[in-house]
Amino acid sequence: MKDKKVDLSIEFCGVKFKNPFLLASSPVSNSAEMVEKAYEAGWSGVAFKTLNSDRIPIIHPSPRMNSYHYGHKKLVGLQNVEQISDRPLKDNLLDFLYLKKKYPDHVMISSIMGFSNDEWEYLAKISEDNGADMLELNFSCPHMCVEGTGHHVGKAFDLIEKFTSTVKKAVGIPVIAKMTPNITDMTEPALYAKNGGADAISAINTVSGISEVGLDDMVPKPNIFGIGAISGTSGPAVKPIGLHFIADMAKCQDLALPLCGIGGIETWIDALEYMLLGASTIQVCTGIIHYGYRIVEDMIEGLTDFMIDKGISKVDNLVGLALKNLDTTDKFDLERQGVTEYDLDRCVGCGQCYIICKDAAGQALDWDEKLRQPKLIEDKCLSCMICSFVCPVPGLISFREMPGNWQRNETKVMDESLEAELKYSPYQP
Amino acid sequence: MSKVDDFNKMPDGFDLGQAIAEADRCLLCHDAPCSKGCPADTKPGEFIRKFRLKNITGAIRTIKENNILGGACGVLCPTERLCEKECSAKLRSAGHPEDRDDPVRIGKIQRFLIEHSWEMGFKVLEKGEPQKGRIAIIGSGPAGLSCAAELAKAGYQAVIHESRPEAGGMIRYGVVPFRFDLDFLDQELNDLRDLGVEFKFNSRIEGKESAENLLKEGYDAVFLGTGLWNGTDLKKDEEDIDGVFDSIDYLSGLRDGRLEEFQRRIENSVVAVIGGGATAMDCVESAQKLGAKDVYLVYRRSFLQMPAEKPERIHAMEAGVHFLFLNQPTNYVTDGYNRLKGLKLLQTVLGDADESGRRRPVEVEGSDWILDASIVIKAIGNIPEDQSPEWYPNVKTDEKKLVITDPKTGETSVKGIFAGGDIVRGPALVVTAVQDGKNAAKAIVNYLRQ
Repeated sequence: MKDKKVDLSIEFCGVKFKNPFLLASSPVSNSAEMVEKAYEAGWSGVAFKTLNSDRIPIIHPSPRMNSYHYGHKKLVGLQNVEQISDRPLKDNLLDFLYLKKKYPDHVMISSIMGFSNDEWEYLAKISEDNGADMLELNFSCPHMCVEGTGHHVGKAFDLIEKFTSTVKKAVGIPVIAKMTPNITDMTEPALYAKNGGADAISAINTVSGISEVGLDDMVPKPNIFGIGAISGTSGPAVKPIGLHFIADMAKCQDLALPLCGIGGIETWIDALEYMLLGASTIQVCTGIIHYGYRIVEDMIEGLTDFMIDKGISKVDNLVGLALKNLDTTDKFDLERQGVTEYDLDRCVGCGQCYIICKDAAGQALDWDEKLRQPKLIEDKCLSCMICSFVCPVPGLISFREMPGNWQRNETKVMDESLEAELKYSPYQP
Repeated sequence: MSKVDDFNKMPDGFDLGQAIAEADRCLLCHDAPCSKGCPADTKPGEFIRKFRLKNITGAIRTIKENNILGGACGVLCPTERLCEKECSAKLRSAGHPEDRDDPVRIGKIQRFLIEHSWEMGFKVLEKGEPQKGRIAIIGSGPAGLSCAAELAKAGYQAVIHESRPEAGGMIRYGVVPFRFDLDFLDQELNDLRDLGVEFKFNSRIEGKESAENLLKEGYDAVFLGTGLWNGTDLKKDEEDIDGVFDSIDYLSGLRDGRLEEFQRRIENSVVAVIGGGATAMDCVESAQKLGAKDVYLVYRRSFLQMPAEKPERIHAMEAGVHFLFLNQPTNYVTDGYNRLKGLKLLQTVLGDADESGRRRPVEVEGSDWILDASIVIKAIGNIPEDQSPEWYPNVKTDEKKLVITDPKTGETSVKGIFAGGDIVRGPALVVTAVQDGKNAAKAIVNYLRQ
């Protein structure tokens, strides 16, 4: 009998979360009214929509977002040009007080974005004074309409360090630095944040992108009255990018800070993958934009059942479990090779495997017209596995390792007689 | 919607979102068995792939170039025994392939694409480079329309002679409006008008050699697509009885201005429809919708032997029609004023299979009984008009008065005269008539180029 008691709570920078699932600082955490509903659904905390100091008015472009579709699947990605909070600072702080009073065991992370040292300090202090348990420094919004903010800061590493250090001096609560993915190596800015005193890193903010171009008006979307702009892309399409950066930072021994994973999380599996690669908490925005706060119920239940099944009692014990198996491509054992294996009893005969093996792989399939089935020529199979990705029957095509002495047949040349005309001598290093 | 509107409108088809979702289910088969399943070569495998890859104009082009009545076929085709029967997607449930019957709804995607082309004003077909040659098409049913369109695309002048006031043949006068509405048909007919096909309405071919004479009256070839417009009687030398209708007369009546007259008659009456095919289904369901007190479907065999498509059978049952299986109608019962009072029936049991492969009805002696009914509609198959062979006395016909042709070309025994559709095949599908028209058009072009 498996132990049915698992503990989803986790400590992050010394703050206790009843589960690792938080709202990301975004449209889904814009007000206490919204956050309250999320808490009731099961979310353990919130990175509140980034505060502004009322120094300059924040006006959201209209329309704000565009969906990236694939076939009939909607919201495979989401592009948005929404700004930081357009609410008066006072209103947001009143909402802090309300939430902390009513939900003292839920974690309030105040996301802030300043335009100067002073302003960062002001926002940090006022957040702490009004009940924030933690701060998240927004160095990463890619589409602020005000110059010199957002990911422009996140790309100027010395500014990250400077503002982090300013904030750290101003407050006693833990400070998370939120990173932009619109760079090549995230460990570098993360280390600057650490030098500034950051207690944790959250990543990723949205990826700079263009989701669609209007074909009649030639305006990239969202079309803000004739203008489109490169702006934040999120959702399932960006998950691989988020996982990459989280894993990189988790592997970075100099960094050694707790990580909060963000980017394309909709299900417990997405969340778990972030955790296995080193994140101890996760944040969600686009998943909620697609399905609503209720998805947390499935994240909690799914993760709980997984942990019971694996005999893991504390969610902490999951963090970073896959990192030991993550290495660079030069560490692969290239001696070991395999091929695909077909369970043809279940084949429905669509032949998609045949088409793509011919056009995009090793020409390792023949087609039996009568049976309407592929026939594998084993020693030509590249084991690219693309056939298994288009096969409509789950698990029909699998991977099988071949014995050590097995040799793949090299692709034949079309006409060996052309050798006479060949101009070639081997490369001499 | 009023009752009559409801009767005259067919249900909506897919919208863009539904069509995309359905096309996403397609497995894009290497050998596209669906395409092989289409008698008119409408190429569903190709148009669904194009649609899936957002080549929506290309998808419409594929349908329209291959099937001038692509919209009508999308609505009317018994797809579950044609393209959709072959669909690999319905085999998807692993382990239990035959337990699931959920093919990609090809017909519905096809209908959507055609409706979408009208909505976006996308015209596929163009008149061909003008060629010398004028062809008379007799009958504006699916075969004639298809032949005319194909000839127009090749640059020839096609002139359709239609005895009735409007075009479409069986798809106008032989289908109930709620299954196929006239707005839709008229939209599709516009595509033919755009091609320059000429229509001569109320232009009945009548009298001896009238069809053959067209060759002497300035036409270079003739296509016979006259169809089947006589009902089959219950017994020999049947006399007219007030309350007994042929399905062809009844169904035409719903389209040609007699709808209210039929409605008055049917409302609160008991209607018995004889037959088990698609036409019988149209008759029972329309009678039900028009307010009959009770509608009986009288069929001499049983549920499994009915030629009507299963979804239609179930639909009719769910609409409240009483299926009276294993009953052979033998005669009518009338009152003193030659008005129908009932239908005399004889019970049957099923014997061995006959040449159609279905179990034969065997009458039970002494089991006769009378079903009270004031209206009987006979839907037991259509046949050629009695005098039709006179119109083309040199064209060989068979004992059923069907025209004998070369099945590949539609050539009849008379040079320059071609034929296709139901007048050749007997009762058949719209989609096969479309193919007949295409084949004949190609043969006509070859003939004219000789």
